[in-house]
Amino acid sequence: MDTNKPDNPDSFPALGRALLWVDKPGSATKIIYALAAVCVVLGLLDFAYHKHGHFEVEYLPNFYGFYGFIMFTALILLAKTLRLFIKRPEDYYGDKAIDSETYPVDQLDEAQNDA
Amino acid sequence: MLEQLPVAFLFFAAALVLPLLPKGHLRGAVLLAIPLIAGWQVWSLPAGNLVNVEFFGFTLDLMRVDKLSRVFGLIFCLAAFLTNLYAWHIRDTVQQVAALVYAGAAIGAVFAGDLITLFIYWEGTAISSVFLIWARRTTAAYYTGMRYLIIQIGSGVILLAGVALMYNDTGSIAFEHMTLGTPATWLIFLSFGIKCAFPLLHNWLQDAYPAATVTGTVILSAFTTKLAVYALARGFAGTEILIYIGAVMTLFPIFFAEIENDLRRVLAYSLNNQLGFMVVGIGIGTEMALNGTAAHAFAHILYKALLFMSVGAVLFRTGTSKASELGGLYRTMPRTAVFCLVGAASISAFPLFSGFVTKSLIVEQTAANNYPIIWGVLVFASAGVLSHSGIKIPFFTFFAHDSGLRPKEAPMHMQLAMGITAALCIMIGVYPAPLYALLPYPIDYDAYTFGHVVTQLQLLCFALLAFCFLMRTGIHPPEIRAINLDSDWTYRRFLPKVIARVYTNISTLWGRMGAQKNRWIKALIAKAYHSHGPEGEISKSWPTGAMVIWIAVMLGITLMVSFAS
Repeated sequence: MDTNKPDNPDSFPALGRALLWVDKPGSATKIIYALAAVCVVLGLLDFAYHKHGHFEVEYLPNFYGFYGFIMFTALILLAKTLRLFIKRPEDYYGDKAIDSETYPVDQLDEAQNDA
Repeated sequence: MLEQLPVAFLFFAAALVLPLLPKGHLRGAVLLAIPLIAGWQVWSLPAGNLVNVEFFGFTLDLMRVDKLSRVFGLIFCLAAFLTNLYAWHIRDTVQQVAALVYAGAAIGAVFAGDLITLFIYWEGTAISSVFLIWARRTTAAYYTGMRYLIIQIGSGVILLAGVALMYNDTGSIAFEHMTLGTPATWLIFLSFGIKCAFPLLHNWLQDAYPAATVTGTVILSAFTTKLAVYALARGFAGTEILIYIGAVMTLFPIFFAEIENDLRRVLAYSLNNQLGFMVVGIGIGTEMALNGTAAHAFAHILYKALLFMSVGAVLFRTGTSKASELGGLYRTMPRTAVFCLVGAASISAFPLFSGFVTKSLIVEQTAANNYPIIWGVLVFASAGVLSHSGIKIPFFTFFAHDSGLRPKEAPMHMQLAMGITAALCIMIGVYPAPLYALLPYPIDYDAYTFGHVVTQLQLLCFALLAFCFLMRTGIHPPEIRAINLDSDWTYRRFLPKVIARVYTNISTLWGRMGAQKNRWIKALIAKAYHSHGPEGEISKSWPTGAMVIWIAVMLGITLMVSFAS
């Protein structure tokens, strides 16, 4: 696919143009701050209701939040470590696996947005 | 009249007629109409064993309709409709017929009241579905399809062996609840386990699903594994070992999904992880847990199909489904991006989306039945689902860095299929009562308690925050063009190598033994020649002249004897 053509945002669908905001400088930071604010609110909401947990850990303040954050990070780190051991080139299994072959073009419709 | 006709036969009849119809809209209409008629039939059939057939002295029960088979039958019909709508553009007769037969076989298996019928349909799903892989028509697809077929047929053969032993033990072929213990039940359990992608029996799934056609993968994602979930729920509910098997299933795929580059394979791992939740529910086996499994299977088929559809649409437009090659596609494929986000939110179990009202039934049951470690694993796996299906799929396809690709939005029929599926995901999430009413047992559950909503949002939002943190600090692993080894390496690389090595060694040994044998024989001949040859010791006293003399003597004796007599 030709990626060297000058980009023409006017040709994008309206919804796509509206979403372009996410790529503006600073937008990502704003999203992260908003998410952090939501997290703070959620953490505080933990004190706003009477808990009915099955296990004691559930009664720790913001248990689910911390568990989510820590386990997510642990997952990524472990997966990254796992990759060191099991990563292989795409053609490892040769022509007996689809990884290194291109999808048959005649079964696709690779139309361009501005075509 | 429809009561006398097994639902599956509708699909088979259509599959027979379809090739006779001209390629085009008429075929598309048949492909859409059949699942709708079948769905209406399943909906309106009364409960009971409706169709019995005599078969070599056995009474086969082709239509056992009860609440468990009905809910699976309904979602299979719905999935067949949605996937056929998604595949509206397909003009390949092989794929169209395979789609019909495959859906029909899966529905037939769900309504099978005996194990022989189950076996026939079990193999039916295997044989029909492989054509959705072969339809890609490449060398790699051929080999992948062969691997898939061997394992699927193997599962059926093991099932048959189990059924034969079962009949020998009990004299019955009824497909009812079983208790593990005899070789028969273990074989049947193993057969279900292969199709359900139990840990170490799972590789066919991640190997084969990404190798199917754009639409084939979506169709594959709905039936085979959920049929196995149904079979386990029917046959082995309350079998405790399933709780641990299921927990491992939720856990290990999330690591592989995280570092996998092919997004359709990421989704295959994710599918495996979701099956784990259902298997845990079956293992617990309480009415609520089985409700959870059925509900989660229902919701899962929809959001998983939706995710496969959105990635399929990207593959259809760009020729690749690899995360390393994609990014920034929201610009020109915004609707597909939104549908993908709905699927991602549903599988991650955000409130107001379908996963929230179904998965929690199972997780809650692990806690209620006092399995703290399993509960911890499932909550962790829920954060893991967010990581690969909730974030990775939409983020690296439609957002993240701009790949520069500017493909056209997905074709209208694909958008329609994705739109309806997305709407269903949201409807189930917002108003779960109709789904709950379909479940096998009465249910009194409110997913939307304040505490449940808050804790689930805490889990997901803090995990999202962790993702942002890892991305900003550059710790998050980048998407790279590579594959990762999984346990299928044993039969794709290791065993063939071992066999090749053994073969080489044996043939070398054989060759050496042959050579040695030749040397011995040659040495023997040489020795014999040395002693008995013309120059040999023994031939010195054995001249040719002596031979002539002896012949003359014998001739003389013969003459004398003949004269004398």
